[in-house]
Amino acid sequence: MKKQMIISGLRARPVRTTVTILAVALEVVLILVIIGLTTGMTQETARRTAGVGAELMVQPPGADVLLATSENSMPLSLGDKLREIPGVKAVAPVMLKMNIKGGIEILYGIDSHFTEVSGGFHWLEGGPSKSSNEIIVDDLWAKDHSAKPGDKIKLLNTELTISGIVDHGQGSRVFMSMEDLSTALGQPARAGVFYVKVKDPEQVQGVKGEIEQVLTDYTVRDMKTLTSLYTSSNIPGLDYFINAVVAIALIIGILVIFLSMYTTITERTREIGILRAMGASKAFIVGLIFQETTVVCILGVIFGTGASFFIQRTLAAAFPTLMIEITRDWIARAAVFAILSGVIGSFYPSLKAASQDPVEALAYE
Amino acid sequence: MKILLETIDLRKTYKVGKVDVQALRGVSLRVRKGELTAIMGPSGCGKSSLMHILGAMTKPTAGKVLIERSDIGDMDDSDLTRIRREKVGFVFQKFNLLPTLTARANIDVARHIRGLKTGHDAHLAEILQLLMIEDKMGRKPAELSGGEQQRVAIARALASKPSILLADEPTGSLDTKNSEIVLNMFRELNRKFTQTVILVTHNPELVTYTDRLIEMRDGIVVSDNDPIPEGADSELEQPARSV
Repeated sequence: MKKQMIISGLRARPVRTTVTILAVALEVVLILVIIGLTTGMTQETARRTAGVGAELMVQPPGADVLLATSENSMPLSLGDKLREIPGVKAVAPVMLKMNIKGGIEILYGIDSHFTEVSGGFHWLEGGPSKSSNEIIVDDLWAKDHSAKPGDKIKLLNTELTISGIVDHGQGSRVFMSMEDLSTALGQPARAGVFYVKVKDPEQVQGVKGEIEQVLTDYTVRDMKTLTSLYTSSNIPGLDYFINAVVAIALIIGILVIFLSMYTTITERTREIGILRAMGASKAFIVGLIFQETTVVCILGVIFGTGASFFIQRTLAAAFPTLMIEITRDWIARAAVFAILSGVIGSFYPSLKAASQDPVEALAYE
Repeated sequence: MKILLETIDLRKTYKVGKVDVQALRGVSLRVRKGELTAIMGPSGCGKSSLMHILGAMTKPTAGKVLIERSDIGDMDDSDLTRIRREKVGFVFQKFNLLPTLTARANIDVARHIRGLKTGHDAHLAEILQLLMIEDKMGRKPAELSGGEQQRVAIARALASKPSILLADEPTGSLDTKNSEIVLNMFRELNRKFTQTVILVTHNPELVTYTDRLIEMRDGIVVSDNDPIPEGADSELEQPARSV
């Protein structure tokens, strides 16, 4: 019976019901897309970094897990020291530069050692750089920029020519020679990270220990654990950002539900009076409003989740380098937040409705 | 006859701004099971206030109201709600049907609140047949005439099997023909189901359909043609006044 009352109540006010559902859906989209974007970008970066082919990476002392924040402070001679350590097969120094023009990406300045670690690129079009001021890009970057081998692009105030397009997933999306990057930056060639390939993958921890003994204070990371390190709690400021997004979404949801239910119960004062006159308890009225809110929130969650996946696909088609990762975990959380905002937002209106004097409510015009 | 409802020196005072308005100034009356009673009087005589108190919608300022031995003056909101749910059925001048629900759903809501099953019920089927609205159950209030809406409202009020049916100006929004139909139905329901009915009205024509007329003026009962002489109830089942 209550179900029938709830459905007929919602259908009787289609515009408000639709707007409220859309507002809850917006709350869900805000959470899923923005959190999905941050998660997607960090996880994809982690997977790409791990995809270089190395088992270990060495960073400057106190370096953050995010390569974008790493400084090119390590001398290339450190590579020779690393190569001398037993168990090390190959070492590739990489000079890093974050580029925010046309999207956030980390440029890799590499030398011939990179191939020793990665095993070489998988070429889709074109080939390796043969002269200076040539770059290699991955397929997603090329698709995003509608670029092909031979095209000229301007990066770091330098005109560069695309020599080849490689499969994505090996560190960066844009590679250039360390020499060119050093020249473009006006800095001596130094490394922001050393990728280390070991002879026996079973001995990774042993080699890591050796490196830590030789290069005291330097940060040595096992690539297997890298993905798990790229979490919001390990990335400075990301937790605050996520919390802020969730809080804003929650506030939007609460305010919309509050406004919607407040105006609903004001409009339905007489109906509530009728129910009270028939002997409906305060709990019955509160329950009715909570259940109506919950139905709206559930519909909002369904539409919001669907819309988030639609946005994810649309953005992926338009901007291939943009990764939005919508996880089951965050869908569940977004649903909880949406229903929570419904409960909080309808709390006062439901109490107001339940405490109405039946005589006054029936006299309401 | 069993006394179903009794008021003893009932008083109700409302605060309008800084002024106290006495709506009821000492009303004492008894209503027995199966009576069809009209409470009549001009606007502002206190009959609606009396009806609200008899229907456990509001509490008196002073005096006692005993509904089946229970004094509602001592009750809190949840007890008053329970009394409304279990003992009282209301019929209003403006029908007060829930506009988004069908006639059937309006009746089912009352039964749901009362805790009764909302499926087929022989008693309800009989009421619907008597009220001649069996074929209107799928319609929404806006699709029914005033007379049909009022008959649905009566069915809704009776669906929860109340001890007392209170009707506030039940023909106030109806034309003469529909008024006659509705009043005849009140009488029919009273005769067939021994349903206690109290009609509150300012329409003198309505009293021809009732067994008893209580006239009110300025918050007091000025006449009561109670067919049972005073004192006769004392030999019959009476409520415990010490409640």
